[in-house]
Amino acid sequence: MSVTGPSFSTTSLQRKHHARGLKNSAKTLLTMALVIVMAAYFLLPLYWLLVSMTKNTTQLFNTPMLAFPSHLNLGANLRWLSSYQGGIFWRWVLNSVIYAVITSCGATLISAMAGYVIAMYNFRFKRQMSFAVLGALMVPSAAMVIPVFLMIKSLGLINTYAGVILPMLFNPFGVYFMMVYIHEAMPMELIDSGRIDGANDYGIFFRIGMPLIRPGLVTLLLITFVSTWNNFFLPLVLLNNSNLYPLTLGLDIWTANLNTAGAGQPLYPLILIGAFLSILPMLILFPLLRNYIVSGIAMGSVKS
Amino acid sequence: MKRTHRRVPYGLLAPFALVFLLFFAFPFLYSLYLSFFVNSGGTNHFIGLRNYGVAWQDTNFWYALFRVVYYGVVQVAIMLVLALALALLLDSRFVKSKAVFRIVYFLPYAVPGVIAAIMWGFLYSPQLDPILAVFKLFTGGNPVNILANGHVLYGIVNMAIWEWTGYNMTIYFASLTSIPIELYDAAKIDGCNESQVALHIKLPLLRPTIIMTVVLSIIGSLQLFNEPFILSSMTSIPWNYTPNMEIYNMAFAYGNFTYSATLSIILSVITFIASLLFMYATSDERKTKKVRLHRRMAKGQAGNHASEVRAEGGEVV
Repeated sequence: MSVTGPSFSTTSLQRKHHARGLKNSAKTLLTMALVIVMAAYFLLPLYWLLVSMTKNTTQLFNTPMLAFPSHLNLGANLRWLSSYQGGIFWRWVLNSVIYAVITSCGATLISAMAGYVIAMYNFRFKRQMSFAVLGALMVPSAAMVIPVFLMIKSLGLINTYAGVILPMLFNPFGVYFMMVYIHEAMPMELIDSGRIDGANDYGIFFRIGMPLIRPGLVTLLLITFVSTWNNFFLPLVLLNNSNLYPLTLGLDIWTANLNTAGAGQPLYPLILIGAFLSILPMLILFPLLRNYIVSGIAMGSVKS
Repeated sequence: MKRTHRRVPYGLLAPFALVFLLFFAFPFLYSLYLSFFVNSGGTNHFIGLRNYGVAWQDTNFWYALFRVVYYGVVQVAIMLVLALALALLLDSRFVKSKAVFRIVYFLPYAVPGVIAAIMWGFLYSPQLDPILAVFKLFTGGNPVNILANGHVLYGIVNMAIWEWTGYNMTIYFASLTSIPIELYDAAKIDGCNESQVALHIKLPLLRPTIIMTVVLSIIGSLQLFNEPFILSSMTSIPWNYTPNMEIYNMAFAYGNFTYSATLSIILSVITFIASLLFMYATSDERKTKKVRLHRRMAKGQAGNHASEVRAEGGEVV
């Protein structure tokens, strides 16, 4: 911690001292007004969603959009959601959980292992490996969706869980992140001392390395989880069996049907309550996850 | 410095090497290969570079590319000003409960782009007539339909601003927290007020971070797909509105995988070149600094994770 730069001698006390000074209540008032207006902009759509999921279709179009209806239909909407097409919505929830959990755990482990070797060892293809990681970082995954589809198709994995999960295990951002993190968080001597104690290189990584880099692992795990939970383009291309859809894809299909003639009863209440339920876990966990995610983003912001 | 270890655990590298080959290198090469063929009657016929000739004259593809670049510039300009302003405001002494606002601004990051698009799609729909009433003040009482052709791009701009402003603000804020306090004290002695400090000290020091977020956001917008795709069911957005939409529909609506692969290759290469240019333009002076900063950050993270990183993380560019 005591490495370099004056910024590290700064304590929070000094910051508070800096923040004190002449109070200017007019400026404070104006600034607070601005800050609150922006907060409203970020919160209103979410509040609207909260209100709208308690309405039936008639209320949705006939009551003030930001006011709760006189009679809440939350229970009825929830029952309809759970019974519609045999409760397929909950199947989608389960699918999203499966995709996100397996992908984030798998991608984090694979990235950590590769990042560890590239950061800690000298080997013949080290330069090539680093270039491959950086090069892959520079091609956003969306541009690779059709090529990946063709690959998955030739492997015969269209419409399978594996088909969706496997391509997402390739996470160059994760490797880059772990490379940088491990390079600094782990002392080289660790490998030597581990060897003296009779451990092999794998044992050193799994028993000494992994516990040491746990904060980095958790950060990467959370970032990967959020991005998998939110993924849409890849499953859209790889799946056409609605039993395998994640939430994002299922809700999109319902939305697309709203404007299709002859698609049956419009599913407004289902889409709204479904959308709310799909972000609810994130909203609840967010204050807890935030510090990890933010530090990961700030550290890895070489890539969006 | 780093010693060469005789035994290298290649087994730890193997899974990544495998997924790299299977889901990056092979797909790219296979698409490149496919792009030299045309499919007729179920069999592929070699046609050399003719797909690239077609793509070169595919005015819609280039127009779609131009559209997403324009979209990126507009969206990034507005988002950047907002994110900067919010970061500077939250870093000033005029704001109370900063932690709460930081969470609120960052919250949309947790909402999937698809859900955001569905939400805003509803909010834009004239049937629900929501905030649109405000716009009527400017149009003499005429209803405004954001989902109509001329406006829908700006509707998507607003969605992206809603989703990513807090994200970028968070990066700027992290950067600001790492500015040494001595600078502020010196400025105070020189008689600077708060806004002068913001304009003449904080803003210039944020410059590298700003450049990075601008270019990354524009590169990201080249890939625009989710939002216009979701909206296409509510609007008259055409099948080839953005490059990725044309690529998707070329494959799945028209079954022309070889041409779709060609366009994928072109888009990947364009993005790759844009990223390289960006790295080249921003790296020279900071190459050494970057390494040092990474080192400091990682040390901080290994210790008290969250708070240290908030203080140091933003420096990394």
